[in-house]
Amino acid sequence: MLTREVTVRNRAGVHTRPASMIVREASRFAAEFFIRKDGYEINGKSIIGVMTLAAEQGATLDLLFDGPDEEAAADALEQLFEGGFGEAL
Amino acid sequence: MDALAPQPTASTPVEGRPELRVEGIGVAPGVAIGPAYLYAAGAYQAEPEELDATDTEAEVDRFERAVARSERELKKITVVARQKLGDGSAGIFDAQALILRDRQFYDAVVEHIRTHHGGAGWAVQSVLDEHRRRLEASSNASLRERAADFLDVQNRVLRNLQQGRAVSRIDEDTVVVAENLTAADVLLFSRRGVLGVVLDFGGPTSHVSIMARALGVPAVVSLHELAEQVRHGDTLIVDGFSGTVILNPTPETLARAEAKAERFARLADDRSEVLAAPSATRDGHTIGLQANVEFREEFPLLHEFGAEGIGLFRTEMLFLTQGRALDEEQQQEVYRDAVLASAPHPVTFRLLDLGGDKVLPMARRESNPFLGWRGLRILLDKPDLLKPQLRAILRASAHAPEAVPPRMLLPMVSSLAEVRQFKRALRAVYDDLQAEGVEHRRDLPLGIMVEVPAVALLADVFAKHVDFFSIGTNDLTQFTLAVDRGNDLVAGLYRELHPAVLGLIAQTVAAAQAVGLPVSVCGEIAADPRVTPLLVGLGVDTLSASPAYLTLVKRVLRAFTLDEAQDLARRALRQADAADVRRLLDHFLACHNRDLAALLSLDD
Repeated sequence: MLTREVTVRNRAGVHTRPASMIVREASRFAAEFFIRKDGYEINGKSIIGVMTLAAEQGATLDLLFDGPDEEAAADALEQLFEGGFGEAL
Repeated sequence: MDALAPQPTASTPVEGRPELRVEGIGVAPGVAIGPAYLYAAGAYQAEPEELDATDTEAEVDRFERAVARSERELKKITVVARQKLGDGSAGIFDAQALILRDRQFYDAVVEHIRTHHGGAGWAVQSVLDEHRRRLEASSNASLRERAADFLDVQNRVLRNLQQGRAVSRIDEDTVVVAENLTAADVLLFSRRGVLGVVLDFGGPTSHVSIMARALGVPAVVSLHELAEQVRHGDTLIVDGFSGTVILNPTPETLARAEAKAERFARLADDRSEVLAAPSATRDGHTIGLQANVEFREEFPLLHEFGAEGIGLFRTEMLFLTQGRALDEEQQQEVYRDAVLASAPHPVTFRLLDLGGDKVLPMARRESNPFLGWRGLRILLDKPDLLKPQLRAILRASAHAPEAVPPRMLLPMVSSLAEVRQFKRALRAVYDDLQAEGVEHRRDLPLGIMVEVPAVALLADVFAKHVDFFSIGTNDLTQFTLAVDRGNDLVAGLYRELHPAVLGLIAQTVAAAQAVGLPVSVCGEIAADPRVTPLLVGLGVDTLSASPAYLTLVKRVLRAFTLDEAQDLARRALRQADAADVRRLLDHFLACHNRDLAALLSLDD
């Protein structure tokens, strides 16, 4: 089990396109993946979950990973947030 | 009885239902005739069924097949959207595809089918409704918008459930009737061989209209409540040029429309000949024919329809579709692509023309927005909008051929002081780029939109301070006649051919010619081939219109001489009202090109 704190850096926030990027990326790993924000937790491998997350630019999220490849999964997801999903920062 | 049956589809006797003509706005030229295919969001409303417990597994299978079909559709749309609309739009369809296989959806539906025995459609609707309602109830605006994605998925799966059971699928060779469509729908339809599109909503510059033009699918929009009156399989005639839609035509009407459709098809087939011919009057007076462009996906059309560059690049859609301003870098990329697509001809960048009906999120409500904070007025007040745009344009211009610098066009100018203030801002941007050592270009001709009557009346004064004029006939007409064309109560008074409007055009051209300035017209009348002789006769030297109309305009242009056009313009200016001018134009066209006149006249 491991947790990483990330900040939403891209200007548009976690809208539909980043949501699908998050789910696709997370699904490459066996580790379970949850996103926690303001006490609200959603399954990060579920597009429906991620789409119901209100994460604007500047919001901080906790990414929770649990599984054999949690380290790799955490790095990959962190990088995705860090790079602002390839969008304008 | 199929629980998902859209509207009554049973046999509808054509006899007994009178012919119905409806006028909308023609947004993609061409004539389509065929059976109606109702594509309405509301049509996919599921009702609970009462299934035997033994039927539930078959129902689960049916659901799986519908999901698989929906998934295939979305994959296709994602690919096409990525090519034509870019990653941003493609991501939305990708997300919808993910929803289909999301356990919170898929497993929940299967569970619902097995426990409630209410049928797959009912289950899909119940599960997605719940997610959608939660989003719609959110206080966060962007979350509320996501509800639309869930609705799209719901409609798609319900439609596929229904088609899996339908006896016959109507999709090819039909005219699609809908309240509204997305650009992606139009893309998919065009690949399925849909003949035409008619919509209750939309305007000439909405994304769906632009896609229809780009794909060559005849389309009419803004038909108000037509979709309610049409039934599956009804015969429809769509005239995407005049904007007329005819429901249940009589045999005589049908025969006339078929002849017209054939003539249109012939014209499209012989396009190569027109494309090769110079854009000049019969006696060799050259007229520039350029394209009005709004989206990247229109760039390939420049070549297809023989546009000599982009006469009006509307930059505001780049802002509005994203819901926020693109940053300098993103703008620079789009502008550079426009410059490259347009070469060896120039691009005219109209600076951000917000306001009026294109409202900024930050703007406060105005009681009279068309006379309010618009165009250059906003830009001068908002350096954070103006500066990045100028920098992006000047930088992108470095990619243009040496001999044809791009041009800059200022929207909604009403006084000379604004032009002066703009020039000061421009100089400051030059200095910044210079100091930063950023590659850019400074020899861009600067023009203004002539759309406020004050500017037309003082055109000789403005002519000394700018390099070209572009006449925006849509706003010029609104302001001259004091008619808001979006207001149904007075829209009938909106007449671009009103002699007062023509007088202002003539005055603008005279002032420009006196000092050798070029004048273009980029309003909707530039796209109307019936008006081409008049504009040429008034002395306009460039017409800029939606690419799909350029070959029609060129055909007319090649049919008359400059002398004939000038004589026509003199007579038009002496008329008392727009109807008289219209009659003159129809007569002129009938004398010069009978075939085209028949094709373009309002009474088919």
